[in-house]
Amino acid sequence: MPSFLPYLYHTLFPPTVRYPDILLIDFGLIMAGIGLLGFMTKTRRWGWLWREWLTTVDHKKIAVMYLIAAIVMLFRGGIDAEMLRAQLALPTTKFMPAAQYDEVFTTHGTIMIFFMAMPFIFALFNAVVPLMIGARDVAFPRINAMSYWLFAFGAILFNISFVIGGSPNAGWTAYPPYTGLAFNPGPGENYYFLALIIAGMGTTMTGVNFLVTTVRMRAPGMTLMRMPMFVWSTMITSALILFAFPPLTVALAMSLFDRLFGSSFFTLTRGGMPMMYVNLFWLFGHPEVYILVIPLFGVFSEVVSTFSKKQLFGYPVMVVSMLAIMFLSYGTWVHHFFTMGAGPAVNAFFGLSTMLIAIPTGVKIFNWIFTMWGGRIQLTVAMLYQLAFIPTFVIGGASGVMLAVVPADYQFHNSYFLIAHFHNVIIGGTLFGLLSGLYYWWPKMFGMKLNERQGKVAFWLFFIGFWITFTPQYLLGLKGMTRRLYTYPIGMGWHELNVISTFGALIMGAAFVALVYNIVWSLLYGEKDLTGDPWNGRTLEWALPSPVPEYNFARIPVVHERDAWWAMKQRGQSLADLKPEDVRDVEMPRNTPIPFLLGASFFVVGFGMTFKFWPIAIMGFVGVILCILFSGFDYEDHHHLKADVIRSTEASLGRLQG
Amino acid sequence: MSQVEQPLTIDEAYNQDNDRALKFLRPRFHEEKFPTIQILGYIGSLILTFGAYFLVMDHVLPPVSLLAVILALAVMQGALQIGVFMHVREGRGLAWQIVPLYLVFLIAMGMVGMSIWIMLFKSGVS
Repeated sequence: MPSFLPYLYHTLFPPTVRYPDILLIDFGLIMAGIGLLGFMTKTRRWGWLWREWLTTVDHKKIAVMYLIAAIVMLFRGGIDAEMLRAQLALPTTKFMPAAQYDEVFTTHGTIMIFFMAMPFIFALFNAVVPLMIGARDVAFPRINAMSYWLFAFGAILFNISFVIGGSPNAGWTAYPPYTGLAFNPGPGENYYFLALIIAGMGTTMTGVNFLVTTVRMRAPGMTLMRMPMFVWSTMITSALILFAFPPLTVALAMSLFDRLFGSSFFTLTRGGMPMMYVNLFWLFGHPEVYILVIPLFGVFSEVVSTFSKKQLFGYPVMVVSMLAIMFLSYGTWVHHFFTMGAGPAVNAFFGLSTMLIAIPTGVKIFNWIFTMWGGRIQLTVAMLYQLAFIPTFVIGGASGVMLAVVPADYQFHNSYFLIAHFHNVIIGGTLFGLLSGLYYWWPKMFGMKLNERQGKVAFWLFFIGFWITFTPQYLLGLKGMTRRLYTYPIGMGWHELNVISTFGALIMGAAFVALVYNIVWSLLYGEKDLTGDPWNGRTLEWALPSPVPEYNFARIPVVHERDAWWAMKQRGQSLADLKPEDVRDVEMPRNTPIPFLLGASFFVVGFGMTFKFWPIAIMGFVGVILCILFSGFDYEDHHHLKADVIRSTEASLGRLQG
Repeated sequence: MSQVEQPLTIDEAYNQDNDRALKFLRPRFHEEKFPTIQILGYIGSLILTFGAYFLVMDHVLPPVSLLAVILALAVMQGALQIGVFMHVREGRGLAWQIVPLYLVFLIAMGMVGMSIWIMLFKSGVS
């Protein structure tokens, strides 16, 4: 036996990945993998998978892939959450060792933010933004596919950490010195930094792509103030991404240099400045929380006006308040580390700027309520999430303003009060918004409705489970329980509230099961959407058949006002009155394997650098450079979809006259 | 719809824009056989980067002047990237690009300036 094999074994499979539960998961993963390989081979689906999905540049298919990834990651992050709650339910529990607990809360946070919420948002962007603005695809379809595969391989790199080498364990914020090589020698934090750098590149490219798409690709007549509110929110989110991700990338790369190449940017010795990491991280982190919620403000604006059968109240004010949130969100980041002690001037400035953000947000809340006022409200599942969002987000926002009061923050800081606050806004704002958007746009993405009755069961379980989980955590925070606490002794007065909180977490777990059951049931037996406009919608995506054909619009529509499709319906017009001579050849992007190969190469780079296997990393880098070079000189990147093909497709959908 | 349009000449395209009064913003399109400017820009950006690196590593300057010199190098680097690699002068509607550029400077300066302000606490604490 060669002598390096035991070394390799101990590097790749240290004792921290050999806990019994992880071995059980390994076994399950291997069995599921073999089963999947067998199924794909038996049904001869590999070619189909490669041609239709892995090489696609179609924004609608990329949306579906983002959605699948997001739901799988919601499962993974949810399991982590249930494990945390099981550990904390009772005092002095030994459900898992302390080291594993650290890993689980780290992966829970990282996965939920970067690998669940972000791709879910991009799924909605990709699914509807080009349709809403009357475009055939995003501005840069190939870069869109690259964004997806960079995200996907970043997520895979992050997720294999608990099987190979050990998970990161320094919290989702990865502060030094927890990540310092002296204190944390395993590969876990390398995984974290590399996975986030790779996924972050994809996210930045998505930001560029959707900014250009919304600025340049709108249908004739769609001025900025005629855009649907979701498109506004996409534009603003993209701008936020563009400015917020560079500080993160810099902070992660510098931490990685500290770990791999012996620099000392953030070390405790040799003049390093650990708090500078914290500063850079939150320079990204605060805009990030608005990246997570502004798209959902857009979703709620669409949902509330569709299901109230009214135009959105105060459209210009909504736009201005969203822009105000964008600007203000760059000036608040220090409120995440008031207790650093930057001094009263700094803390007062950032406390005030934080409170200021509550004003435009409050304006939006009132606008949604006034949109409902006097409307004919339909209580669909999407609308129920909207109704649940308003009180939940208001309470979460109010506790945020409490945290912005600097002297009080010295008490609340890193307690369960904070945990309850950010789950309150992220679940109440982001998750409810994502699910609202999922139920709203599902017919457009897949051509059938999600069953409303089952959806309502999932909704109520989520809503009730959420409040049972997180109300006790506010109280626990006030009673002094701090975050990232592995266990606690009897007699602190915490265990009743913790039991209630864990019970709530189980209800949310049941809600997830109900959601997945709803999706699977609806895919098999769901009511088909034959009209393309199941909700009597207002924006252009509902003018198209469901699911939307490859080229989106056979003829690009001309927009004359806000809520263009609603106005067309009022005038008795539709897009289904094509004449054969209206249809022309359409230039479409050609499928390409480059994005997939680029992502795979970055995965190899990431894996090699995580374990300092330099030859592997260099191989990956060569792959990256080859992909970029090939893509740069690939002039065959588009093809012409013939008018006859479009005519026959439209005729089969009954949308062609004569 | 891929209508085959005759591509506009530079002058026609320019005349369609509204910023005729802003003569100095008129786009310039360089078409060269060999990307001399880009290669010089690349070398320049490397010099600026390594200049900053060695200034920090070799402790040649007192801290405050070091900070000032690094910030100056960073501004030069930014101008170089925007001018050489982002081709800021080549394109229609240049006046429109001034607005986002101001925004970029506002946010970048805000981030850098406020970070320095925030991290000054270290001189008082440690």
